[in-house]
Amino acid sequence: MMLKNIKQIIKKTLPLMMMIMTVFFTSCEKDITIDLPESEEKIVVEGWIEQGEYAKIILTKNSPYFSVVDSIALTKLIITDATITVSDGQIKEVIKTPTVNPNYFPPLVYTGSTLKGEIGKTYYLKIEVEGKTLTAVTTIPKPIIYDKIWFEVEQPKGDSLGLVWAQYSDPPETKNFYRIFTKRVNNDRKFIPIFFSVYDDIYFNGKTLTFNMYRGFETMTDDTQFEEDKYDEIGYFKLGDTIIVRSCSIDKAHYDFWRTIENEIYSGGNPFSTNVPVVSNIKGGGIGIWGGYGATYDTVIAK
Amino acid sequence: MKLNPQKYFYILLIIVISFVFSNECKSQQKSKQQSNKHTISGYVKDASTGEYLIGANVYIKETLKGTTTNRYGFFSLTHDEGEYHFVVSFIGYTNYDKIINLNKNYQINVSLKLNAILTKEVVITGEKEDKNTQNTKVGTFELPIEKVKALPAFMGEVDVLKTIQLAPGVQSAGEGNTGFYIRGGGPDQNLILLDEAVVYNASHLFGFFSVFNADALKNVELTKAGMPANYGGRLASVLDISMKEGNNKKYKVNGGIGLIASRLTIEGPIKKDTCSFIISGRRTYVDIIMKPFMDESSSFSGSGYYFYDLNTKINYIFSDKDRVFLSGYFGRDVFTIKSAESSFDNSISWGNATVSFRWNHLYNDKLFSNTSIIYNDYQFNSSSFQNQYEMELNSGIRDWNAKLDYTYLLSTKHNVKFGVNYIYHTFTPNNATSQVSDVDLDLGEAVKLYSHDAAAYISDDFELTERIKFNAGLRYTYFQQIGPFDRFIKNERGETIDTIHYDKNENVKTYNHLEPRFSLRFKVNELSSIKLSYTQNYQYIHLASVSSVSLPTDIWVPSSSLVKPQFGTQYSLGYYRNFKQNVYESYIEIYYKELKNQIEYKEGALPEDNINNNTDNNFTFGEGESYGVELFFKKRKGKLTGWIGYTLSWTTRKFPEINQGKEYFAKYDRRHDVSIVISYDINKRLSCSAIWVYATGNAMTLPISRYVIEGNIINEYSEKNSFRMPAYHRMDLSLTYQLKKRKKYESNINLSIYNVYNRYNPYYIYFETTGNINDYDLEIQAKQVSLFPIIPSISWNFKF
Repeated sequence: MMLKNIKQIIKKTLPLMMMIMTVFFTSCEKDITIDLPESEEKIVVEGWIEQGEYAKIILTKNSPYFSVVDSIALTKLIITDATITVSDGQIKEVIKTPTVNPNYFPPLVYTGSTLKGEIGKTYYLKIEVEGKTLTAVTTIPKPIIYDKIWFEVEQPKGDSLGLVWAQYSDPPETKNFYRIFTKRVNNDRKFIPIFFSVYDDIYFNGKTLTFNMYRGFETMTDDTQFEEDKYDEIGYFKLGDTIIVRSCSIDKAHYDFWRTIENEIYSGGNPFSTNVPVVSNIKGGGIGIWGGYGATYDTVIAK
Repeated sequence: MKLNPQKYFYILLIIVISFVFSNECKSQQKSKQQSNKHTISGYVKDASTGEYLIGANVYIKETLKGTTTNRYGFFSLTHDEGEYHFVVSFIGYTNYDKIINLNKNYQINVSLKLNAILTKEVVITGEKEDKNTQNTKVGTFELPIEKVKALPAFMGEVDVLKTIQLAPGVQSAGEGNTGFYIRGGGPDQNLILLDEAVVYNASHLFGFFSVFNADALKNVELTKAGMPANYGGRLASVLDISMKEGNNKKYKVNGGIGLIASRLTIEGPIKKDTCSFIISGRRTYVDIIMKPFMDESSSFSGSGYYFYDLNTKINYIFSDKDRVFLSGYFGRDVFTIKSAESSFDNSISWGNATVSFRWNHLYNDKLFSNTSIIYNDYQFNSSSFQNQYEMELNSGIRDWNAKLDYTYLLSTKHNVKFGVNYIYHTFTPNNATSQVSDVDLDLGEAVKLYSHDAAAYISDDFELTERIKFNAGLRYTYFQQIGPFDRFIKNERGETIDTIHYDKNENVKTYNHLEPRFSLRFKVNELSSIKLSYTQNYQYIHLASVSSVSLPTDIWVPSSSLVKPQFGTQYSLGYYRNFKQNVYESYIEIYYKELKNQIEYKEGALPEDNINNNTDNNFTFGEGESYGVELFFKKRKGKLTGWIGYTLSWTTRKFPEINQGKEYFAKYDRRHDVSIVISYDINKRLSCSAIWVYATGNAMTLPISRYVIEGNIINEYSEKNSFRMPAYHRMDLSLTYQLKKRKKYESNINLSIYNVYNRYNPYYIYFETTGNINDYDLEIQAKQVSLFPIIPSISWNFKF
């Protein structure tokens, strides 16, 4: 976990070095206009299924890079006329209409109502929209159990800010991938992935590890998070918070997607790293993810 | 291997060799009947410093038959018997002219005196008046060190690599990038030699400065095409740099104090005319200067950067037959970032250390040899601490190298070279260790790779007729990876399904190849010639670069069972023409290159992919093509000197696993590249110079569409390198004022202005998003970051 932090930090360090050299040598920045080539329209799938929960799928389209983003433009990107079929190989469910759900963006989610996820099973997704058929497959691996999980104040940050810590023993006989989310009760409206939320047990297979979790952003595009009074709290939890930690086991295709997505979010456009094309598991001309989560919930009270 | 041209080449070589020998036998017989031939040999030196002179003209006035001194100042001229004027000349020096009765062999060491009339700079390596049209060197660019010093300095530092990039066909990687590209070749395809030792990373501070301190250098020669057989191991070019020996007559000190760095050189005799030394050092102090500007509370207080270079050399002349040299270069860049806020502490450093021992030996007046033993070490280290996390990353390459080079000056028609070269490489591609509190994380075993790298060559620079002269050579190269080594066989899920273990010295993989090298000069008339060349090269070690910008983190890796040697074929054809009695030089040359087995990281490869894995499992392979035309025009003499160079070129790559297998432009594909360099002597004390460069922008991959995942904007990218950054152009000016000469010392002040018209040249482009997607209000703006606005600098240079 932290190793990932360090490695990512090293990767970020180099651009940081360049930024510093830039500071040293009085760099200049200016706005420019660019003519970009035409882009192909694609269907974007954000779908997931968790054990004990119904499938949820958000469908949108991509848009040319510089196109205006306002409510009118956005409504054009949302898809409402698709037919989605979710199946576990034997039972299937067809969803034709999305449900309004203000916790997500865009706030329209195709939600299942009959088929719940189960641990160990494989789930198939089929989307028929605008004459195209997209398909994907995922699995729900066995959830994890922490040895212990707690909150600790981070001294350099003062007396009230801290991080969630956990001790975990990785099973040596299986190849495991993980994704971790947190939700502050009465504060976050949904589960937010922590900073660098996905892990590959290649670093700690079979070992017992103690690591911490930095609180993630709900979205990178919200400028209000960077306002002065909130700045110090970025990444941290506060004394008094009640935090629900949702730790999930995921399969490799699911892991590859979030790994490449996070790389893109944190360093996309950075000339010092090769841009990593996002690895999608959607077939048939779409992009995005259909992923299974084997989830464990732990409640941590920050005290 | 491209069979057809090679086959014809071998046939040609055999025909030529037999022709040569039969000719020589005939002429030997003829001469035995007609007249004897005798040899004059020796060394040419500067009378006041004892430095031997490279490329001095040595000839018989009456017949104009002659030769030039080699890299060690040695010449050998075999000529018919008779009484003649024996002349040695070199630009900036008074000619040596002596009547000789050539009825036996002579050993003459010539000391040339500086021409007193020329009070301005001494040009230590001059050029034979018509050398450029008359020799068989194609695509060669020679750089007199004193000319480098007269050009505008960047932050007060003149730079050999920056000057080389002003030649046509040589492209800088851009501000902030290490390395340079020659005729579309990658930065690892340039063989950079300092006193015969390979320099793996020739840049400080991401390419802003090179590791070469001009005060310690004597000669710089760049070969872009027609690479002769005595060089090998890289596809694109050879940058051969020689250090000064050190004044063996009296002590001299020179140096300079500039805004960013200072340098000091001390040289002198340990035993007059026999043994001398030179020590040259340079260090920046930008970290010390920046400290007061970064207050304690600044989040980056404690961060800093510095680099240093140290060149040392000592030489001993045993006799006219034997001379030894011991040189060393040590340099390092150290970068520290501390961030109190994130309790983060990172120190990154990299540098080269090379030591070379050389022995010149004269077997007789025709056979000269140089034996070198070299140790070379390039290391990159990064250590970071954050809270309880500690991580160390190391990579590097270490060489033990021995070579033997012979020059056999058979006659004025033949200059035969042959020799052998052996290197033992130890590669450390990527070693990381990490600790969390006290737990060691599993980052895989520390990996070292070992290999033997050997070569043998023979070449002849042969004057077939007065009009036709060619250089034909053959280089045999051998590369073997040996154990201890573990090969991990992976399945598509990235899981290891098998490990093959090789013991110490056990053969893992062997490659060997023949590399033909050929260049020909056809003399049209006294002032012009046509030159063509054909060469094949193999390269066994490679620089793997993760980012689209070359950084010191790029790692050197050897060829292996997965990584085949890079293979390049180059053809060039040029017309060389001098004007007005060699005052003006010009050429136009076209070239075409084919590159095979080029290496890139697989798309999406990350550092963690190296854990319990072989680095080369992350590579993908492809080919490339590069072609273009270079135009060059130079004025060599007079108050106003300078040159204009223009290159029009295309460089493409094609990799099955990149860009869906479609051909794409290499990132350094530069359609147009212009350099104009002008130096003008205003009067005895004042001189000025200006340079103007223009280059088409770098190719980059930009996002063309975006979509939303979990409320975040995700970019979708265009075809690889389908976008061009705006063009780069810049003008620099410099003024050098010679202060009044004192008895003890002389000095000058140099004022340089970098980027005179303050153009914001793009360094990189990124996109900034502002607003909140949840409010349906988002704006994306393209931004361009530039590094250097107008930067004036001043430096004081002294000599005593």
